[in-house]
This record gives sequence, C-alpha cells and structure tokens, in this order.
Amino acid sequence: MIKFAILAVLSGALMVLDYRGTKLQPVRTALKMLVYPLQYAVDLPYRLAHFTSEFFTVHEALSKDNRELRSLVGVYAARDQKYHSIEQENIRLRRQLKAASAVREKFTLAEILSVSSNPFRKTVVINKGTNDGIFVSQVVLADNNIYGQVESVTPNSAVVMQLTDVKHAIHVRNTRTGLGALAVGTGKANQLELKHVETSMDIQTGDVFVSSGLGQLFPPDFPVAKVSHVAYNPGDSFMKVMARSMTDFTKTREILLIWREDYSPLKDKKTKPTVASTTSSASIAGDR
Amino acid sequence: MNEVSIRFTGAMMLSLLVAFVLTILPVPEKWSLWRPEWLALTLMHWGLLAPKKSSLLLAWFLGLLLDVIQGTVLGQHAFGLMLVLFITLRMRPRILKDSLFQQLFLLFISLGSYLLINLWILGITGNTPPGWSYWLTVISSLLVWPLYHYYMHIYHARKKPFE
Repeated sequence: MIKFAILAVLSGALMVLDYRGTKLQPVRTALKMLVYPLQYAVDLPYRLAHFTSEFFTVHEALSKDNRELRSLVGVYAARDQKYHSIEQENIRLRRQLKAASAVREKFTLAEILSVSSNPFRKTVVINKGTNDGIFVSQVVLADNNIYGQVESVTPNSAVVMQLTDVKHAIHVRNTRTGLGALAVGTGKANQLELKHVETSMDIQTGDVFVSSGLGQLFPPDFPVAKVSHVAYNPGDSFMKVMARSMTDFTKTREILLIWREDYSPLKDKKTKPTVASTTSSASIAGDR
Repeated sequence: MNEVSIRFTGAMMLSLLVAFVLTILPVPEKWSLWRPEWLALTLMHWGLLAPKKSSLLLAWFLGLLLDVIQGTVLGQHAFGLMLVLFITLRMRPRILKDSLFQQLFLLFISLGSYLLINLWILGITGNTPPGWSYWLTVISSLLVWPLYHYYMHIYHARKKPFE
C-alpha cells in the first residue's frame, strides 16, 4: 500500500514536470536509448524481409530498373547543370541588388525504423540522431514533399512527427488563388484538415496547397496537400475542408532531413550542425 | 491459494519482454486499435498466480518505458500499469482464482480504471482520442484473456493435482 502511494505520487510529479517543462528531457533520452535495441530488434524481421525480397528480385527486372535509373540520372544531371547556371546567375543578380542570398539547404537521408505503436499518434522513429547533427524541430521531407518535423532526438535515433499527427499544424498557401490556410493533422493516415477557411474564400476540390514559409520553420513552396472534400454547414463561420497529404505516409520508408542556413536553432550557439560527408548539398534557386 | 513456482529463472522477465514486444510490434493501422493491452494482461496474470514475486516497481518502470516509446507524458502508463497490478493484488483474496468470470470481472475493473485515468491524462494534456475507438482495446483484451492466461502456463510449473 505504502509502495503504491509513493509510486503514485512519483508518477504524478513526473507527469506535471514533464508536461510543464523540459527538465525531464535527459531522463526521456536515457530511457529511449535503453529501449532502442528492442525497437531495432522488433523491426529487424521487417527489414530482413524487405532486404531478401529485394535480393531475390529477378535479374531482368533489376537491369531494366538500372537502365531506367541511369537515363534518369542523365536527365537529372542535365537539370542540375541548368540549376547551377541559374544559381550563378541568381547570385550575380542578387549581388547587384545587394539582396539577401537565397535559401541554401543541405540534405541527409534517413530510414524509418518503426512506426508509433500508439494508434492515436502519428510519429515514426528514424535511424539518425544528434550524432548526425539532427536537431529538434528540423524539417523532414519525403519525395520533395513535406513529411513533418523532428519531435525529439537521442544520439542515434530521432522521433519524427508526421504532418497528420493531431498535434501538428502547418501554414499553407493555395497555388491557384494564393490564399492561406492552416493544415492541421487529423490523426488519420494521409488526412489533413484545413482550418480557418472562411466561407467567402475560393476553394474547390483538387486545389493544391504548398507550404507558405510563414513561421520560418518550413521552407516555402513545397507541396503539402490536395483538397479532397469541401463542405459548408450553414451557421458555421468556417468551411470544413479535408485534404489528402501529398506524401503517402503509409508507404514511405526513407526520408530526407534538411539543414537550412537561414534557420536552425543551433545557429545562435557556437557551432553549426556538422553534416556527414555523405550528405549531398543542393540549393534552391529562384525567387522567394 | 499457493504461489505457483516459476519454471526457470527470468521466466517472469521473459514473459514481460514478450508482452512488451507484442505491444510495440508494428501492425496495420486498422488492427492497432484492437491491440490488447498485453502488458496489463501479463501483469495481472502474475499478480494472480505469483503475488509475492510481482513487483509494483517493475510494473511502474515498464510503464515508464512504454511512455517513452509512445511519446506520452512520462508517468502516464507507469501509473496505469502499476494501478492494474495493485488492483489485482488487492482483489486477489476476494475472488475465486479459477473462475473465469471473476477473472474477467477483475480484468474489466483494473483495465477500465487504467484506461479511464489514461483518458483523463490525455484530455488534460490536450490530445483526446476521437470517438469510442479508444475502448476497443478493452474488448480485445477481455476476449484474448482466457487463451493468454492458459498459454502463460508455459512460464511456470503446472499445479499438482493434490494441491
């Protein structure tokens, strides 16, 4: 009985401390590192199955894939060349205008290790952590769409919150009309809700929303969602707009983490995040 | 009601580890709402059959690990799992251990209070799960209990007939 009382009080204290502040972050990180091997082991069969099915893919299919990819590389190389020249031109023009330089970004690839076992959260664990320079609230992309942001990190893993998590919200812009809205997660797979869409706003099914860049966290003009359903109940002040995320969260296995030179919480501290040599660097040229 | 003797050293830890793995095993989204509360079931099993060896502290710590994995407030599942074991231990002398219906009743009470408190904490921290789907796990836990309880006997020696 006395043990129960002590532990109950202790749990209460932990909950309050954890909810109110960040003092317990080290405890959380330590415990996370403790269960990481278990999480890795649980995910191992799935990775092995993936690996073996890849290993035994028919040779013909592989060589066909290879040919296609090679031609794609050629296309991308050409396109990259074009971007290089555009970037050079941009830098020159900006220098003439004495304007701030465009966003320069660095990427690193990470693998998704496990999906949250809590059915009411949309988070995943990835296999990179502070050792690779990952930081909290870092932007995560998948296939050139926005995937989410880093929620917490340990030295060799990190938790990424998807756009569809109920705690997540991102400001977006309609590509057709330029009007803004807030894309809030619903907790359901690939489902987003666009909030604060006034009844007078021009919005229709099929509209594509991109990140607006407001709030400085997400880079602007990355595709986020496509409107799937618009409804208006007379009497409500806002419309109910549902959208499908551009990323298919159920299929993505690899994600990109980006470093932006104009935004990083580590910027005001002494060091910049060190990026592994495997990281490819690229830049986003064009107008902002 | 005597304590059962555990078959080998670490059998209890092994059973809890298995339950933990079952809890974090990735399953398709449709099924994940129906995932039974494996850890609570395991703790209750040991609470009924080996009360002297069941430790509230261990249950609490397991809950803490679950909190970390599921990204909930630290102490939420810790308190819940400890509560399940505590209720089991307190109610144990009051029920017939071999009666399935009394076991299910006890499971309903302990799991219900665990999940209800969990729901309150989720509400206070601002992520109330939508709809009734939150409670599906109670149904699946109750359904899976008889079978799970039976197969948990591999972890300890069977009762002798003259006991």
